Amino acid sequence: MKHSVVALTVNGAERQMLVAPGTTLLDALRESQGLTGTRRGCDQGACGACTVLVDGRTMMSCLLPVETIDGATIETIEGLTPMEGLHPIQEAFLEGFATQCGFCTSGMIMATAGLLAKNPDPSRDDAVRAISGNICRCTGYEAIIDAVLDAAARMRAARRAKAA
Amino acid sequence: MLQSVATPASLAEIHAVLARPGSARIIAGGTAVMPTLNAGTDDFTSLVSLRAAGLAGISVKDGVATIGAATTLADLADEPALGFLVPALETIASPTIRNMATVGGNLFVKQPYGDLAACLIALGATATVSDGTTTRIEPVEKLVASRLGSGGIVTQVSFPLPAEGSFKFVKAGRKALNAAAIVTVAAVVTVADGVVSQCRIGLGGLAECAVRARSVEEALTGNPLDREHAEQAAAKAERDIEPLDDSHASAWYRARVTPVHIRRALVGE
Repeated sequence: MKHSVVALTVNGAERQMLVAPGTTLLDALRESQGLTGTRRGCDQGACGACTVLVDGRTMMSCLLPVETIDGATIETIEGLTPMEGLHPIQEAFLEGFATQCGFCTSGMIMATAGLLAKNPDPSRDDAVRAISGNICRCTGYEAIIDAVLDAAARMRAARRAKAA
Repeated sequence: MLQSVATPASLAEIHAVLARPGSARIIAGGTAVMPTLNAGTDDFTSLVSLRAAGLAGISVKDGVATIGAATTLADLADEPALGFLVPALETIASPTIRNMATVGGNLFVKQPYGDLAACLIALGATATVSDGTTTRIEPVEKLVASRLGSGGIVTQVSFPLPAEGSFKFVKAGRKALNAAAIVTVAAVVTVADGVVSQCRIGLGGLAECAVRARSVEEALTGNPLDREHAEQAAAKAERDIEPLDDSHASAWYRARVTPVHIRRALVGE
């Protein structure tokens, strides 16, 4: 079994890692990079807890053999979080009580980040669709959907303030 | 036990890697292959990724759409010339999975997944299959039935664009979004002089693979496209399907509701 060196840009920093064949991006992030904000849920692509952005698009990190995405740019919940304070999506989730046990939260937030990068003014239906691959067993989803829309409003307001 | 993962940069290189000893599995988006690896139920020693082999891309010209096998479902949904497929694509899994899952891979996922295959059957799509030295064209309908029993790699699928409004799609699942098929119906229906002159219907969730509803097509052709005739034609579907029991629905239930969903796909009620 031959290990290989994979280079990824993780949260803005270039990283090289030695990986065994079939190592998933999820394992590389958690075990090799110590970025444990990305959660291991089902390992089947069915729960969304491991959602990260790969080249700007949401993907399930448990389904990506890291050797096949050599050179990719990855953003995780740690990269989304600013040096001080919280990202507007995180603020919206926190203030809207959109977390309970918190296990799904980083995946939900990255799914939201993926949506808002593409669609800054989503409808409620857009929000529902965007998180349709992410399972939450606590909230009943309504608070999360509200938080996605609140996050979008906060980010639009921040952009307007910046432009003014 | 997995020993290697290759990411060849060309089709020729893929064939060279596949020719090596050991049991290789082709991986595209990973949404079907990786769950087996993660669960430890894999039966392959190497993975050969299509991700870097240049097999992604969409071209639409002279009324024909050609889609590379490694094109993701998300990229397919973003193609303006193929907007008629968006409602169907949005019923497949979640946006996150659609960013990964590929058109070629969708032909090989186990039922009751693989709704795009039902659409491609309705569209009369063909697949280009490369065996390393030659390429051949196979109807998608035959390819999914044999699970590419003749070997090779699907490099692209191709279909004539349907006339505006002629593509119809209905899917029933247990949830509104991100649900496997209980019944999937895709159809291309052409009406001329008040009667159905041509139709092709693909069904998903109703057999070991996506199938064509030839009996329904025959019964519909030559008749007006109205509720009465759609219902009569849809009743013939039992000849075309062999539904299975699974965690989503029983075979009995699937057979019972199939004609209703075919009728709804055909006439919208």
